[in-house]
Amino acid sequence: MMTDKQTAAFFRAEGVLVSQGVVHAAAWMAAQRAGMRERAFRFGQALLSAPVFGVLGQTDRTLGNRVAHLAYRDMTDDRIHVLAEEYVEDILAEKILDSGLELIRKARKDGHRVVVMSEGIEPIMRPLVDHHIRGVDDLVCNRLEIKDLKATGRLLDPVIGGYEGGRWLTSYAAEHGIDLEGSIAYAGHAPDLLLLSAVGKPCVVNPDFTLRKAAKEADWPVMDYTA
Amino acid sequence: MNAQTQGSQFSIRETFAGRHIMLVGGSGFVGKVWLAMVLQRIPDVGRIYVLLRGKGRSADERFEKMVNEGYVFRTLHETLGDKTSEYISRRVEVIGGDVSLPDLGIDPETARRLHGKLDLVVNFAGLVDFNPDLRLAAGTNVDGGVHVANFAQSCDHARLVHISTCYVAGMRDGFVREQVEPNRSPNGTEISAHEEYENMRRIIERTEAENESAETEAHLHKDVIARLSERGYEANERRIRDMVGRLKRKRLREMMSLAGTERAKELGWPNTYTYTKALAEMLLSERADELPLTIFRPAIVESAIEYPFPGWNEGFNTSGPLVYLAQTWFRHVPAKAGNPLDVIPVDEVCKALLIASAALLRGEHAPVYQCGSSDRNFLPIDRLTELSALGHRRHLRDHGEGAIEQLVLSRWDARAEEPEHILKIGNIRRVIKQVNRYLTHGLPEKLPSEVRDAADDLAKTTGSANRKLRQIEEVLDLFQPFTHDNFLVFECRAVDRHDVAEPEFHFRVEDIDWRRYWLDVHMPGLRRWCFPQYENKDKEIYEPAHPFRMIDVPEETAAAANDTGT
Repeated sequence: MMTDKQTAAFFRAEGVLVSQGVVHAAAWMAAQRAGMRERAFRFGQALLSAPVFGVLGQTDRTLGNRVAHLAYRDMTDDRIHVLAEEYVEDILAEKILDSGLELIRKARKDGHRVVVMSEGIEPIMRPLVDHHIRGVDDLVCNRLEIKDLKATGRLLDPVIGGYEGGRWLTSYAAEHGIDLEGSIAYAGHAPDLLLLSAVGKPCVVNPDFTLRKAAKEADWPVMDYTA
Repeated sequence: MNAQTQGSQFSIRETFAGRHIMLVGGSGFVGKVWLAMVLQRIPDVGRIYVLLRGKGRSADERFEKMVNEGYVFRTLHETLGDKTSEYISRRVEVIGGDVSLPDLGIDPETARRLHGKLDLVVNFAGLVDFNPDLRLAAGTNVDGGVHVANFAQSCDHARLVHISTCYVAGMRDGFVREQVEPNRSPNGTEISAHEEYENMRRIIERTEAENESAETEAHLHKDVIARLSERGYEANERRIRDMVGRLKRKRLREMMSLAGTERAKELGWPNTYTYTKALAEMLLSERADELPLTIFRPAIVESAIEYPFPGWNEGFNTSGPLVYLAQTWFRHVPAKAGNPLDVIPVDEVCKALLIASAALLRGEHAPVYQCGSSDRNFLPIDRLTELSALGHRRHLRDHGEGAIEQLVLSRWDARAEEPEHILKIGNIRRVIKQVNRYLTHGLPEKLPSEVRDAADDLAKTTGSANRKLRQIEEVLDLFQPFTHDNFLVFECRAVDRHDVAEPEFHFRVEDIDWRRYWLDVHMPGLRRWCFPQYENKDKEIYEPAHPFRMIDVPEETAAAANDTGT
């Protein structure tokens, strides 16, 4: 049945559009803090999230994200924004996946509203999307809690990367009048299963082991590409 | 009209149309921006009489040089092109004079002409050095203020805006109201403005007399003879007399500076500048019944946010040395975290001043207007220290000289620390001084020539570093009352009493995004316009395509033609 609702293309940034994840960003930011002691401590804290992602990353990435972003604790909003710009220009821009950009161009050409979902924080993802990815209608990413102009180290709910993604997608579609049946989603992590299941045209990109297996059983298309 | 405003909405342009204004002290940082803004945005203004000292050339020539060479007038030049000379000449008349003289040193005929014409006198004149010779500070800041008020009062219908500073509040903590406390110094001492003025005069006379005493003369005489013999010069009477004269003058300046600072601190002001400005306020506020006036107090005036263009700044301002310090290897800025540094962009100051002046012309003014950010958009000093470090990081990554600056110095974060921190600038300077002394005088005589040459080079470097650090240390000491010792929030609400029609004159300090302002406007502005001066480099001179020349325009023609606009 034809519908006058708009369709959307949902992209999970990590693994689909960029090859660098939040652990790297958090560790890099921690290493730029004021004072050597603080740098060493927060750098170590950020690295702690790597094994958490390793163990739980294919079931729920929420805890890994929360641990990684603890490294921002007591960092000023000013420092986060200035360093984020530097991180994007010096590092993340080089990690953009051309095939991912091609998918965005195709989605726009096909008339989809382009929505990017990221585990990264807004000060990093906003300049990346505005200056390097382009063609994005909506960006949804993780948000740090800021009090008295400093990060508390907490991520505000909902944390992108966990199972919340599917629920968020449903409410987003309702709010914006999106026809999910005609929409596409590109993602590569097992916790994105709900997200992929919610749309009519799921596509698995550079998947982890669990998602690859699920995609095979569900007969979803799988794309593998690198930078 | 919002709930806080008093009176009906008014238009700045309509209020100033055809009004004749005398601008005193218009060659300073704020005065020039104000003049350019009025010329640019209020084309129907009457005649602006700019009072200038000649300083070795005619006042007209000095004004031409000011308009042609200052980047502050660039926007006006670019807008007017080849009409600049005609446009400005129709609106501006330069008057030779000096605020430290009675009747402002204006020739009687010109003074008589002005008495019947002036609607408004705006007095920007002030000696802004923190601890100058007390005679100079008294002459400009106190006597100058009184002379300008006398002149305004002798006019038929002129009103007076006296520019002061928020820091007349002195060394205390807390919320500073927009009012003059006429009989009380910041530390609570009961004073009378007139008695304190007489007391200041007595201090000056006493210091002069002490410098002229036989005892001082004898001491200097002995000192000069010793110096001459040490240098192997013949100690003849004439040479001795010349040197004693020079030393006496130098000593007097130092004693006057010291005497001013001592009296200021005794009463609770941090320096001679704020003491003399406060005294002038007290003397003027007593005359509010005889002369319609308002006192306008800006806080720390810094780079323009928008007019004449983003980042415009000049001179040795307050935040400049602190920001400059943050880009060196020295990383401990003596400041108390959480204390505000009440920074306000110069164009916001000019807009607020225009609002206050228009209100004064309409008779709807408040007695005092404070113009700062601490009450409306708080900026703590530790935040701006970090922003300065981040701004330097951004700059050095791309423009640093070599890998050390790009990779190491760029990440060498400055931070606000207690002044007595072990790594305070004074301690570092003392270590460098000791190294310099050892390299200059302490090395063994028999050294290979290569080692000797290297030591000489290092001695030169440490000597220059020592001098530079000493300058910075002195500046930091001067600023410490504002950066560390006192927590002052200046009320800034009187300007809200007036509902101004034109959006371009609205005072919008709340809208300033300090991060964007500091990193993208203020720091690039300091880097271009101020740091070269700190490094004794030449400042940039503007060269307009159509240089401004003052042309003779009969006054009536000028007034009639002003409504042709640009």
